[in-house]
Amino acid sequence: MADREMITIEIDGKSVSVEKDTTILEAAQSIDIYIPALCSSELVEPYAACRLCIVEVDDGRKTKLVTSCNYPVRRPIKVYTSSKKVLRNRKITLEMMLSRWPNVQVIKDLAKNAGIEKARYQHPAVDLNPNACILCGLCMRICEQGIWENIINFTNRGAERAVRMPYDSEQPHCVGCGACAEICPTGAITMVDDPNQPYDAEMIRKAGMRITKEMIKYDEEQCDMRGVGTAHLVEIMDAYDLLPVMNYRYGKHEETPKISSDIFRKYFTKGKPDGCWLGCTMACAKAIEDFELKTGPYKGEKVLVDGPEYETLGGSSNMGIFDPYFVAEYNFYCDTYGLDTISFSTGTSFVMECYEAGVLDKEKTGGLEIPFGAKDAALELLHQIGRGEGFGLIVGKGIRYMKKYFVENFGADPDFVFDIGMEAKGMEYSEYVTKESLAQQGGYGIALKGAQHDEAWLIFMDMVNKQIPTFEDKAEALHYFPMWRTWFSLCGLCKLPWNDVEPADNAETDEPAKVPAHVQGYCEFFEGVTGKPQTMDSLIRMSEKVYNFQRVFNLKMGFGRREHDVIPYRSAGPVTVEEYESRQERYDTQLREDVGIDPTGMSSEEKVAATRKFREAQYEHLLDAVYKRRGWTNDGVPTVAKLIELGVDFPDVIELVKKHGG
Amino acid sequence: MNTNAIDRLKTLLESSSDDTNDAPVILTVHLGTCGIAAGAGKTLETVKTTLASGSVQPIELRSSSCAGLCSYEPMVSVSRNGERPMMYLDVTEDKVNDLFDCIRGVKTAEECHLQIITHDDPFYLKQQTVVFINRGLIDPESLDDALASGAYKGLASILDNMDPAEVITEITKSGLRGRGGGGFPAGVKWSSCVSAAERTEGIPVIVCNADEGDPGAYMDRSILESDPHSIIEGMAIGAYAIGAEEGYIYIRKEYPLAMEILENAIRQARDRNLLGKGLLGTDFSFDLVIHRGAGAFVCGESSALMVSMSGMPGEPRSKYIHTVEYGYKGRPTVLNNVETLANVPRIITRGSKWFASMGTGDVSENPWNGSSGTKVFSLVGDVKNAGLVEIPMGITLREIIYDIGGGIPGGKEFKAVQTGGPSGGVLPADKLDLPVDFDTLTDAGSMMGSGGMVVMDNETCMIQIAKYFVDFLKDESCGKCTPCREGLVALGTILDRIISGDGRQGDIELLEEYGQNMCETSLCALGQTAANPVLSTIEYFRDEYEEHIRDGKCGALKCKALIEYHINAENCTGCTICARNCPADAIRGNLKEPHVIDQEKCIRCGVCREVCNFNAVEVL
Repeated sequence: MADREMITIEIDGKSVSVEKDTTILEAAQSIDIYIPALCSSELVEPYAACRLCIVEVDDGRKTKLVTSCNYPVRRPIKVYTSSKKVLRNRKITLEMMLSRWPNVQVIKDLAKNAGIEKARYQHPAVDLNPNACILCGLCMRICEQGIWENIINFTNRGAERAVRMPYDSEQPHCVGCGACAEICPTGAITMVDDPNQPYDAEMIRKAGMRITKEMIKYDEEQCDMRGVGTAHLVEIMDAYDLLPVMNYRYGKHEETPKISSDIFRKYFTKGKPDGCWLGCTMACAKAIEDFELKTGPYKGEKVLVDGPEYETLGGSSNMGIFDPYFVAEYNFYCDTYGLDTISFSTGTSFVMECYEAGVLDKEKTGGLEIPFGAKDAALELLHQIGRGEGFGLIVGKGIRYMKKYFVENFGADPDFVFDIGMEAKGMEYSEYVTKESLAQQGGYGIALKGAQHDEAWLIFMDMVNKQIPTFEDKAEALHYFPMWRTWFSLCGLCKLPWNDVEPADNAETDEPAKVPAHVQGYCEFFEGVTGKPQTMDSLIRMSEKVYNFQRVFNLKMGFGRREHDVIPYRSAGPVTVEEYESRQERYDTQLREDVGIDPTGMSSEEKVAATRKFREAQYEHLLDAVYKRRGWTNDGVPTVAKLIELGVDFPDVIELVKKHGG
Repeated sequence: MNTNAIDRLKTLLESSSDDTNDAPVILTVHLGTCGIAAGAGKTLETVKTTLASGSVQPIELRSSSCAGLCSYEPMVSVSRNGERPMMYLDVTEDKVNDLFDCIRGVKTAEECHLQIITHDDPFYLKQQTVVFINRGLIDPESLDDALASGAYKGLASILDNMDPAEVITEITKSGLRGRGGGGFPAGVKWSSCVSAAERTEGIPVIVCNADEGDPGAYMDRSILESDPHSIIEGMAIGAYAIGAEEGYIYIRKEYPLAMEILENAIRQARDRNLLGKGLLGTDFSFDLVIHRGAGAFVCGESSALMVSMSGMPGEPRSKYIHTVEYGYKGRPTVLNNVETLANVPRIITRGSKWFASMGTGDVSENPWNGSSGTKVFSLVGDVKNAGLVEIPMGITLREIIYDIGGGIPGGKEFKAVQTGGPSGGVLPADKLDLPVDFDTLTDAGSMMGSGGMVVMDNETCMIQIAKYFVDFLKDESCGKCTPCREGLVALGTILDRIISGDGRQGDIELLEEYGQNMCETSLCALGQTAANPVLSTIEYFRDEYEEHIRDGKCGALKCKALIEYHINAENCTGCTICARNCPADAIRGNLKEPHVIDQEKCIRCGVCREVCNFNAVEVL
């Protein structure tokens, strides 16, 4: 970010330097000067309605009264927060408020500070309610700006102004988030109904509100999920050499800026609630409206594209395509055909590499010329998959099928296609380069469903934050996080609010990767709903039962042993000389420091082989450690003791694992 | 530049249909909203029926807009052999036969009890028409009429001969200041919009404020109803100057006729390539959208208007960042009032020097130095000739009220004149010789405002007037900020107790204190000026307030709680008419004996006084 212009102003004689367009109120707060403000909150845009925050500003030409909550600092000024004129006017404004709401505590307090106990006129519509609405508008602004819902607003005008729901009725669209009640300074809004009758609604609301506040306050500076959704990951992954480029060969590309979130920010529909469910304050499900399609059955029509998310963008770079229009087009058609963008893009990346390596040619693809970057061919392939025709019929069946098919029918080298065909347990890899993250290799390889990041997304902890250096650390992470993430699925909750927004002090906690404050929040959610108190361990315990049971189910279906947790070598290290040489310095250093081999004088082929030997052994060590931590045999089978401990020791389960040495 | 817009316009003009016949007499029925309200529609129908009967000589019948003298509607103009028209006043449908008798020369106007005035009448003589140059003369529904009167010549000439910056300079040099009330120089506004657009890379937009809402003010409505193409042309010129391709007209729904006429005019302009893509064959494109306001007074305030245009409730926002930079949907926005825009084509065709030569001060170097051009006022209230008057800036209130307005009717005396609508103030008799311009009226504690001018005679209670405006604003305040919302309640409450005889020592000071707070701390101009009617009546009629509070008396005999009706036994003949009409059954007395009013029962409605034929009912 470019440096913002700084301006030095003087408040009550104290100097303070602030960024241009900071408000006077913010500037004053930053140096602990108190200005009363009833309608202001850091969670919403300034409104300047109560007029209590007036200050006197001397801009060098004249002196004027302004409201500090929304007056932007644009030149050096002198501010007086307690001048005679300020105090006189503030006092009268408070007198007017007191006259109408004589029993509202916050007004009584402010009035008393200003030196008044009673107004000098009798308000014709005096409201004696101590919890009267004082028309500050905080509730409707947080509903509009924070929750993006616009459920409540002002009705009528002048003295009749009041906060209401539309047509004074109960609104089915109100999601009951409670943000309005929470922000109300007088207690004028209360929750009257909890249709699901949870055990302790208040506990749930408090925990929810903490996340809502963090979302409104920190999201823009943290992940900006509200602005661009998961698309913000593109530039970060590229910066850390983790963005898949050309079938996971590389982790970055000079053309990445063409598909970064800055580009999509312009296309995304803004300011509309676009969460998976109403009331989600993260609302990361972005959309592009009025996108004109260039290919396929809807060519020429303007459509709404639901996305793109990070995986769809990473899938595009993986195909070597850096064109936002292509991304929107393939995103739309994958959705329309009912295809997963990850499977399509990873599968097509594999096809492209095979094409470039000579495994495929135009004849074999039915006329498609499809090297990396061939966007027209990629779209044509997509339409073929959609129609169930031609080469698309083969590609649509996935990488595991293609590998076998290419070996049997096209004479492909099995070692090569198995090294670069990025799938595990038959599922295509999602869009992260895992070569330098052993933990994430395990995350993909051991995942019960196959190579997807939903179960264990450790790449950030491992590579960006470097929080899990040892085997034991990684094994612990591969125990905790898959269990923790499974817990969300058990409860039907979204994982993103857990760690895509964090409390301001999260980094200072003992285990920042776990976001302890949020885990505590989920304990409260669970207790609030069921009445059963929870701890971090008890939540994990719930998952462990299910997770082990699932592993046994895999076993029953023929996928539950060590041999099924293998990964294609491309996900662990450089397969080709070209790949090795592109990151030669890094790999040479690792040979020297981690493997203990001096690479000097070695050919690239020899270095590839040495690296491979080391990394494959590392992966096996990791499996040993993870199985041990999980209470499984060295073949990856849950032990009888573990199943008894977890209470899933059903007779047929026990019989099955015993057969496999458990 | 170097296009041929002027040639294109000439072609348009030549292709106009020429439907005038050679009838020696042209009869024009004036169909403004004021005329229609007074029965002009029926008059027109009767005229048509009479003409259809064939019993009169060949006459060309036309319709046009209000001719300005609204208190004498319906008006019909008659022009013989191309001479300047005579205007017949109060021509209701039952007088149409008499009108034709006059035209045929069978009877004189006097014999028919028909009043006539001409443009030599003082009502017209002291006026100077710039924006109203076509009022009552052209048919507002005819583009051909407008073209024949010179419409779009200004637009064509700038498209051919001037670049945008030159247009802005020309408007700045004319000294044209905003007619909506603020008096901000139009050229300066345009030019700051251009620089804001450059700075923020925003796409500018021009908006016409036709949300006229002051009680008793209807200047803009009349301009829209009489010469809609002047607004379209003014906006197109403004758009060209600031680099906008979109224009909006924010007009209140209470102006159905103006809206209909405007919609029709926009359609016509589009059909003839005076709006839309590539105006008059140039590469400048501009089109207009009408936005209907729902009639909230506050929506005339610029930021509230723009919020309302975006589909939200019309609430002002602070303008520490001006609307020229951050206006409609966050875009750089020029907002000009109807009358301001109507002046623009005139300035372009006749030159900034001509415009600057009218009015006060030397504005050629700095538009703030004076008030150039003319101003339209709606002159209403206790004045003989009520109507719309356009005067050169700088003539005095006295000239307007006495020479043009004909003075106070009913032999009463002038007491005060209220200018500037609810945001303005009340000026007493000793201010009658003040010249009317932006700065003088503001200095005197009132303001020129958009042009409402309400004359009050000596039977007006100034506290009641202050209360009237406070009540109006209390209903119209959006209620967003405390000083305006609660301050108006406070002022109203205190005025109420003064009016009902419960005024206390110190109430005047309290009114001043609250009023001052509202001026200093309210969010928008509505709140900042809302106390003006109270503060200015206190300034000029403080003794009247004191009289109410100290003596419990209302000099104008208007405050019911402070007056009593009595029957003067000497004059009372005992006719019983008062007792029979009293709604409160408060009058007792035998036939042919003096009656008495029971003060306990009397509700001070004044019916007895109105019905008494012997001046026996007195107010004390």
